[in-house]
Amino acid sequence: MKITLNGKKIKCEEEQTILQVAKKQGIKIPTLCYSERFHPKSVCRVCLVEVNGKMMPSCSTKVKERMVIDTESQRVLKARKINTELLISEHKEHLTQTKKHELCVLAKDVGVRQTRFSTIGKIHNPNEGIGIARDDNKCILCGKCIQACEMQNVNAIDFAYRSYHTKITPAFEGRIDDSVCIHCGQCILACPVNAIYEKDSIKDVEKALKNKHVFVQTAPAVRASLGEEFGLEPGTLVTGKMVSALRKLGFKEVFDTQFGADLTIMEEATELVERVKKNKNLPMITSCCPAWIKYIEHFYPELLNHVSTCKSPHEMFGAVLKNYYIENSRIKKKNAVVVSIMPCTAKKFEAQRKELNKDVDYVLTTRELARMIKNHRINFNNLKEDNFDAPLGISSGAATLFGATGGVTEAALRTAYELETGKDLEILEFNQIRGLKNVKEGNIMINGHDLTFVVVNGLHYAKELLEQIKKGECKYDFIEVMSCPGGCIGGGGQPIPTTKEIIKKRMQALYVNDENKIIRRSYENPAIKLLYKEYLGRPLSEKAEELLHTKYTKRGI
Amino acid sequence: MSSDEIGMIIDEVIKGPDGKPLLLPLLYKIQEKFGYISKNTAHEIAKKTKIPFSTIYGVITFYDMLYTEPKGKHIIRICNSPSCYLNNLVTLIKFLELLLNIKSGQTTKDKKISLEIVSCLGCCDKSPAMMINDQVYGNLNEHKIKKIISRLR
Amino acid sequence: MKILRKTRFNGLRKAMQMSPEEIKEKIKKSELKGRGGSNFPTGEKIEMTMSREGVKKYIICNADEGEPGTFKDRFILKKNPLNVIEGMLIAARAINSEEGYIYLRGQYSYLKPNIEKAIQAAKKAMKKINITFNFHIIIGGGAYVCGDETAIIESIEGKRGNPRIKPPFPSRKGLFAMPTLVDNVETLANLPLIFTDKNWNDNWRLFCISGDVRKPGVYELPLGIPLKKAIQMARPKNKIKAIYFGCYGGCIPYDENLILDCEPIRKKGAMLASSLILVDETRNILDISAIISKFFEFESCGQCTPCREGNIRVLELLQKISLGKAKRKDLKLLEELCGVIGDTSLCGLGQSSVNHIMKEFKYFKNEFQEKLK
Repeated sequence: MKITLNGKKIKCEEEQTILQVAKKQGIKIPTLCYSERFHPKSVCRVCLVEVNGKMMPSCSTKVKERMVIDTESQRVLKARKINTELLISEHKEHLTQTKKHELCVLAKDVGVRQTRFSTIGKIHNPNEGIGIARDDNKCILCGKCIQACEMQNVNAIDFAYRSYHTKITPAFEGRIDDSVCIHCGQCILACPVNAIYEKDSIKDVEKALKNKHVFVQTAPAVRASLGEEFGLEPGTLVTGKMVSALRKLGFKEVFDTQFGADLTIMEEATELVERVKKNKNLPMITSCCPAWIKYIEHFYPELLNHVSTCKSPHEMFGAVLKNYYIENSRIKKKNAVVVSIMPCTAKKFEAQRKELNKDVDYVLTTRELARMIKNHRINFNNLKEDNFDAPLGISSGAATLFGATGGVTEAALRTAYELETGKDLEILEFNQIRGLKNVKEGNIMINGHDLTFVVVNGLHYAKELLEQIKKGECKYDFIEVMSCPGGCIGGGGQPIPTTKEIIKKRMQALYVNDENKIIRRSYENPAIKLLYKEYLGRPLSEKAEELLHTKYTKRGI
Repeated sequence: MSSDEIGMIIDEVIKGPDGKPLLLPLLYKIQEKFGYISKNTAHEIAKKTKIPFSTIYGVITFYDMLYTEPKGKHIIRICNSPSCYLNNLVTLIKFLELLLNIKSGQTTKDKKISLEIVSCLGCCDKSPAMMINDQVYGNLNEHKIKKIISRLR
Repeated sequence: MKILRKTRFNGLRKAMQMSPEEIKEKIKKSELKGRGGSNFPTGEKIEMTMSREGVKKYIICNADEGEPGTFKDRFILKKNPLNVIEGMLIAARAINSEEGYIYLRGQYSYLKPNIEKAIQAAKKAMKKINITFNFHIIIGGGAYVCGDETAIIESIEGKRGNPRIKPPFPSRKGLFAMPTLVDNVETLANLPLIFTDKNWNDNWRLFCISGDVRKPGVYELPLGIPLKKAIQMARPKNKIKAIYFGCYGGCIPYDENLILDCEPIRKKGAMLASSLILVDETRNILDISAIISKFFEFESCGQCTPCREGNIRVLELLQKISLGKAKRKDLKLLEELCGVIGDTSLCGLGQSSVNHIMKEFKYFKNEFQEKLK
């Protein structure tokens, strides 16, 4: 179809929004409440354009034959400016913020340096939860956090009141920790003004660094994204520089959560094989995503017996370190502090679960680590590459995959196959469960049993499967659920922005990392072998059950 | 309020195509019975209907006539439309506040009367007007208000 | 009054002998226009709702009459609810719907028994004619914005009454995502009359006259009469200065020679609906302006930026002017702000929330300027 865009006649496809068409034409229209992930709500009114003489939101208005669109008329510019001024009037601090967010950029783009409207000064107390916190003083009510929460089928927050008194809050203005919030942090990634953020643990960690023996472990997804905070291209692997930075920050020993991931695979694959043999509690569902665990505890507690009893990798790591590793060293347990660097805000919540005995003391997100590095004025990009310490820094390629959706399944299958058949899998890549599709399924013949599995990419798609299990109609043996789209690489603790394109690049980096590893199966990891030989015996042994497995809480809604 | 009672009310209320009760009539029925919708009650509704707790709160607070806190036995709603304004409204609100010894938005100490200033009641042919519970009182003046209030007490 | 004539289901009986297509044509030919303020041709709306076939459809009777200065729907529902119900059934026949909601504003809940009685009577008649239709009455929660046809749908669905972005229009995707016909009480009450009265025409309308008058009330008047005549009927207390068409319709200075009709009043910049609030010479326009702005500030659903953040600023600026603390630049800012709120708000409420100020600026700017520092 043909339309006129800023005086130019152009051809475009049907069923596209004005925003999409303009973008293709290289015309920039500012947006604020728009996100590629959600259905447009068109409430911020800054992406307005003139369509046949009428002001229309470009994010939700679709092009029509012979439409005449002006994206930069005086009327449009004036409207954008006033609406931005209105948004800023209650939040003047947004203009002077050092960390630039979407609203700062918007203000600059539309030429707003100050606002002519007075400030009433609504004052709210920040609602601080264990994993995430929100500060309504910064909130501009765009509603994207609500959309993110709705997308997860959690609905912990919603709008309340109306008019100027509108606010976003858990029910009855309760605390985040009293709500069904699963701390996944997707709302943080959605927020254009940093009104939602991780509960800060930097201070605690800095304090520990001064007078304790601090161990650090880093999740697979962090090495694929941390570079973005220092201006590197998304998908740049910065493992070596990250290790160097951690040493410079004062961490005594730098380990890898991937060691924990390999251990998880040993336990989880064994558990799966056992359950299949006994045909009990199938399908088995993965347990490494703490947001997912909290979700099922709230919304489907009756299905908790399906969840693997394995602790998540960093918690397994913590347990091994605080018991096995410390016992063999001269460090006193009370002086040992374990810090996890995670792409995740839910891990902060997980770390304080009573049943996990504080094996991990503090969790820092990717963003927090970047902030620490910047606070210490470390020139990240100029750092020399360094290696993880042994033995808890040794890991397989399979463990790397944990960072991406489908990775846990792929890693588990590599080991489950060996456990059952005694043979190594020849083709390691399970391409049908890679990538960003929402639900990915497959099957593999193991000793005559047709093992079926499904990968859920994003919590939104878990509900249907859970309902199937409830009705006894679920046909799978194994289900992997990762709450965040793309898996941990799209986690709520990752650098902002985290878009689909960026997630793809981070994912690719992990796949390359796996391919480049010499050891690609968890059971081949020598450090793991040694751990079982010296300490645990075998997977699911009494000692393993005690240290590496956990139980869950029925929470309800 | 017991969980069973709430369950019974939920059963009575008409359902949408997804089988969930329509929230507005449900909340009204609850309020009719208990005067307001407490946090516990709302939570119970959320558990029973699977309508998110936060959504229920969002809906209650959106609408002026739904309450999360107890109100007086009699709710006086005085109309703040331009028509009533043109008919001596401001003086009457002050008079009412003085008479009841509360500000608008508050409830008397004996929990008998709540006073609210509301948008147009649709009684501009009887301006100035107010409603007490379901009853409209129009063409108000100080004398009339005094008489009406004394009957409430 | 014409609108109060009881048709006793004769309109419905006549409609039953016609095909949906014929019913729609008849309504279209009658030129009946929506009486909820939009003035949109009812027949066209029915036609649009008919277009999606083979799916469940709903009818909503919009009895959420919240526009200040308007009380005609209350009047009809009290005196002649049966015609409203019959109107719903006729429309239902046209669009092939079997379920309808009457959304009655919370402040009118005392009218519910009246409507229920009418529904009972309708059920008897329906049995005889052999049709089925499910009525539900939903009591509104006291939010003006729910008078918007998409907000009313959200509200019935059990959500906050936030208006939706259009398209899709309710005629394609309305209540529970199904095609839905939303019509105002007075519009529906006219439907049976169209089918029973050969002389029916769209000119006769209900007007609610209130404000600085001795005889406020509902008046049934034909369009085209001198405005003066209408106003005399309500017996003004003093010389009339301005007429406000509810809160959203804007205002005009009183002009003896003006005709009571949509076009002449549109030419003056205002929107003629049902409400005429008369303001006499003893009044200060700034005070009225603040009262109306307070109303919109209070009733904004809070969804979109200009309406939520803008209307509170409008109110602040008006108060600043009232107190004599404003300068010329404040007045300019107010004008600019109102322009943007009207131009960019998401729904009708937001867009019309500043109509009155724009017109006050046009006709009574001196009253603002006098107060400047």
